[in-house]
Amino acid sequence: MTPHTPVTGSSAGAASADTEKAAAEALRRSVTSQFGRSLHIRTLDTGSCAACEQEIRLLAAPHYDLQRLGFFFTPAPRHADLLLVTGPMLRAFGVAAQKTYEAMPGPKLVVATGACALGGVFQPDAFSFGSVDQLLPVDVWIPGCPPSPLALLQGLLVAVDRLAERIPRLGFVAGSES
Amino acid sequence: MPQWFVKGLRRGVVTTRYPAHADSSASILPTPPGFRPEELTSQIADSLVQICPSCALTRAGDELIFDAGACTACGQCRESAPRAVATSGEFELATTDRSALVKRIPLLGEAGQ
Repeated sequence: MTPHTPVTGSSAGAASADTEKAAAEALRRSVTSQFGRSLHIRTLDTGSCAACEQEIRLLAAPHYDLQRLGFFFTPAPRHADLLLVTGPMLRAFGVAAQKTYEAMPGPKLVVATGACALGGVFQPDAFSFGSVDQLLPVDVWIPGCPPSPLALLQGLLVAVDRLAERIPRLGFVAGSES
Repeated sequence: MPQWFVKGLRRGVVTTRYPAHADSSASILPTPPGFRPEELTSQIADSLVQICPSCALTRAGDELIFDAGACTACGQCRESAPRAVATSGEFELATTDRSALVKRIPLLGEAGQ
């Protein structure tokens, strides 16, 4: 394996990045005002090893009890507000992923889940796009391999703007948190 | 046996109080590494870049670039350099900005200053 440069989003240029950021901010505000404390989640496996799915499944278990926070899983993208995407986005799955995204009513959120979806494990090649943001506009990134149910919960709460992000404050240097 | 299981049997409630309160099982989760710059020489950094199975670590000049999004928390860097690398204990890593996950860690100079 050769080292590759980290993916830093699909946007090119500072100006478009700024407008994208403003649009994402507006979407988050509208999600909070429109959905309040209720949000329906559709999971999408785009070629993951199913470890992420194991952790996602645990969110509905009694210990984590996702429903107490107003999140619900739904089997249909038509009913979903948030798309929880796992896996490196296989090319064979591209059309299906696109159709799933288009079938969701707006406003909608896309959450990339796990190291594969974030572009950390697979490089873009003949079989996969390498990361979810190559195909879908990602709003929240949840790292981890797999992310624990607690990390997923935090990610979902960050997505609906009910919990502040911690990562900008972390330097991964001992004693660096301000 | 996890603490919440015993407490749950006693109280009849097993649900975590996260995010309002810290979860007792958070401390045993696998988490990305945290680095100690005062121990991190360029030799150690190069060996860590070689070891990392998911290419989360790259070297750029006198900085080690750590992509927390690519990290699988395997712990191989911590095992190979226990003085320079420790578990960060951070599991709340979700972000709306992918580039916020890429961290630059300064390396110790050759003279050891």
